Amino acid sequence: MSSWLDYTINGLIVGNVYALVAVGLALIFGVSRLINFAQGSIYLVGAYIGWVAVVQLHTPLPLTIIVVAVAAALVGLIIERFGLRPLQNSVRIAPLLATIGISFVLDQLVMLTFSPNPRALPSQLPDVRFQVGGGTIGPLDLLIAGVGLTSALLLFVFLRYSKLGWAVRATAQDRDAAMQMGVDVNRVNQAVFGIAAALGGVSGMLVGMYYNQIDTAMSLQATLKGVVAEVVGGAGNVPGAIIGSLLLGLVESYGVAVFGTSYRNLFAFLLLVVVLVLRPNGLFASARQAPPEPLTGTFIAPSRPVRIPRWALLVATGIFAVLPLFPVSFYVLQTLINAWLLGMLALSLTLVAGTIGQVSLGHAALLAIGAYTSALLSLNLSVPVGLAIIGGGLMSAALGTALISPSFRLRGHYVSIATLAIGEIVSLVILNWESVTRGPIGISGIPPLALFGYELVSPISIYWFSFIVMVVLALLQGRLLGSHLGRSFRAIRDDDVAARAYGLSLNRYKSLAFIFGGFAAGVSGGIAAHLYSYINHETFNTQQSILALTVVILGGLGNVVGAILGAVALVGLPEVFRVAAEYRILIYGIVLLLLVRFRPQGLLGTM
Amino acid sequence: MTTSAPEPLLALSDVNTFYGQAQVHFDLSINVGRGHIVCLLGGNASGKSTTMKIILGLVKPRSGEVTFDGTSLLGLSTPQIVRRGIASVPEARRLFADMSVRENILMGAFVRNDRTEVAQDLDKMLALFPKLGQRLSQRAGSLSGGEQQMVAMARALMSRPRMIVMDEPTMGLSPLYVDRVLELIRTINQEGVSVFMVEQNASLALEIAHEAYVLQTGKIVLSGSARALKDDPRIRDAYLGGSEAA
Ligand SMILES: Nc1ncnc2c1ncn2[C@@H]1O[C@H](COP(=O)(O)OP(=O)(O)OP(=O)(O)O)[C@@H](O)[C@H]1O
Ligand SMILES: [Mg+2]
Repeated sequence: MSSWLDYTINGLIVGNVYALVAVGLALIFGVSRLINFAQGSIYLVGAYIGWVAVVQLHTPLPLTIIVVAVAAALVGLIIERFGLRPLQNSVRIAPLLATIGISFVLDQLVMLTFSPNPRALPSQLPDVRFQVGGGTIGPLDLLIAGVGLTSALLLFVFLRYSKLGWAVRATAQDRDAAMQMGVDVNRVNQAVFGIAAALGGVSGMLVGMYYNQIDTAMSLQATLKGVVAEVVGGAGNVPGAIIGSLLLGLVESYGVAVFGTSYRNLFAFLLLVVVLVLRPNGLFASARQAPPEPLTGTFIAPSRPVRIPRWALLVATGIFAVLPLFPVSFYVLQTLINAWLLGMLALSLTLVAGTIGQVSLGHAALLAIGAYTSALLSLNLSVPVGLAIIGGGLMSAALGTALISPSFRLRGHYVSIATLAIGEIVSLVILNWESVTRGPIGISGIPPLALFGYELVSPISIYWFSFIVMVVLALLQGRLLGSHLGRSFRAIRDDDVAARAYGLSLNRYKSLAFIFGGFAAGVSGGIAAHLYSYINHETFNTQQSILALTVVILGGLGNVVGAILGAVALVGLPEVFRVAAEYRILIYGIVLLLLVRFRPQGLLGTM
Repeated sequence: MTTSAPEPLLALSDVNTFYGQAQVHFDLSINVGRGHIVCLLGGNASGKSTTMKIILGLVKPRSGEVTFDGTSLLGLSTPQIVRRGIASVPEARRLFADMSVRENILMGAFVRNDRTEVAQDLDKMLALFPKLGQRLSQRAGSLSGGEQQMVAMARALMSRPRMIVMDEPTMGLSPLYVDRVLELIRTINQEGVSVFMVEQNASLALEIAHEAYVLQTGKIVLSGSARALKDDPRIRDAYLGGSEAA
């Protein structure tokens, strides 16, 4: 039985680790107003470099720390130079998307190099524990605390007394003014990326030693925790990030003490959402001050959409409709069914992210809500599958909109963070609400697709069913975009201040967009549940949210035909080229990076 | 062809500037002679601040040329331009609000590496702006508008510039501070620093300027020596937006 003091010590130690990640995020956000979603990947890389150093090169601990810091810093410099600097004059969403793409690429490279299996990372420290009051503390705890304090001190000295440190602070406060003093902001960017990466890498190594285990799932978790800590402390605020991290560590540790381990992350994300809603600038800023985001526009790349003649669309639809009548393999149908399901999700996301400009990073949660609702309706209440799927869509629309609505006043990056957090919360509630969702066991034996009492078991019937549903949703969305409502959506995206001045109620329109989008995604999830016959809390994960976003950007934000084309391309092309499964995520990451760099408006253009 | 006039320190010639589709400057040509105070007058949204940004390289023109001391500035980044000897007092001062007054002033010397002389120059600034002495460790954001203007000017001088560009240095100041600022600009100029300033208040600016240009929706509609312009009735017309001002 651990004592409260143990939980406090554990909370502070974990908080220290978070702080090393969050401080880097804060530095980068301060200087370039960018949430670096690749920060967790650098942490992952740090952990594996530490493993190579310790296990293969047998370096002593001080040298290990230096090796990890230097190697991680190099990775950070490369990311800044080749991933982000070319995007300096791009739309504001571009660097954010690029860091997401970079994180996919780095994570997959680590996974391909080291295999996804967990590895042990011994700390090289004696395994003793000292009694302190009613708790115990070990050498590794002291090391982590020492590294945390030393880093904070070094950072303080750097920012306060070095010329480059001054440049960092000046750039964070007023980029243009700093340039007018002769500050080279590229060098400042380089410096903060290098520092952030060094700290992040060391943090990953320390965590690996703390749990004596490293695996590739660490990356996303680290990014999420770092973002939580940073936002709680106030984006861009370095001391705030440290305090936010310690607070997060304590909240988690006490939460685990009271409710159990599986609640750890739930507390983290609830803390984030509460802070975002009540004090979007963090706990230490005045509540009134608006988050540092541009007031309007330029978050989405403007472009002229490619016009596709109606007959071409009709012909394409016709071809795909009659395709199963020809001798195509089961494999092709299976692939296209996946494309149609992803297409529905993309329709939903392109409306929310593209048309009304709320770039959601948690869209898979809508799939999950639809899937669980439909599965449980048909299993527990014997609702016919067709109706259950519609129920899933409605539940997704209602619950998804209700969950996001407190964050409607947020803008830009903050919307993305909020949706990411809500996505995680949905998944964690599913994990923990065992009486309804069956928790970690998941739901098995979900009845197959059926319509009016007839089971759809043949691939052809499933193909037609999903295709027709997608086409109907696409037609509805096309009508919506051409209507007055669609124009209001775009007006809000392009300039929400002006839109409000014209008397548009932002909350009502954002709700409408999420209701429609939630329905389409929920239906997709519902169909998937009956198709897979087994789902659990990880079936619909962040990776799918990001895949959907890549699809939507590939097609062109807001573009209905583009969303479907993007889905077919991203699901179909790897099949055509028989790309091994473990390389797919890597390819998605690279596609995202290339798009952001060379064709931010996507294949068919934004609408 | 030879010209008898000495080569200007700063020359904008036939500059056309766009923000997206919207054109802000139409064949803009401005000269700032060595050791002169040149003033750019114009109403709201006429493109004055954009002219400053062109000089500083924060915005690049679509066509035209900008030269400083005979060499083009167009291929240079803002920090490079600053290193050539152009300092700025931006619109609304743009101090580093969370840094101390001392740090703000020293930021002006960012391009310099001669620490001891920088320290001497800081003392000089405190002599020139005596009020700042007691405020050195205060957050710059907590100063009054007039005090902030003093800090912005001290900050600009710290780079030992050959030219200072100022965007509406008297905006929002009490009459007492306005006089003080104008006097300081004259002092700075007498020490050999050329000044290019943007102003809305023509009568004030013409008191200290040698030459002036009047900008109206991106076109120079009037220019000449300040003395000549002071009594020109067209100055008033230009401000009222008279269509035949030129
Ligand atoms: N970054 C920008 N993007 C698009 N348009 C801009 C931008 N900055 C300025 N403009 C527009 O260019 C025009 C000229 O602006 P500028 O700031 O140069 O005017 P100004 O003469 O300094 O005005 P003021 O007296 O109000 O300071 C204005 O119509 C303004 O709206
Ligand atoms: Mg202006």
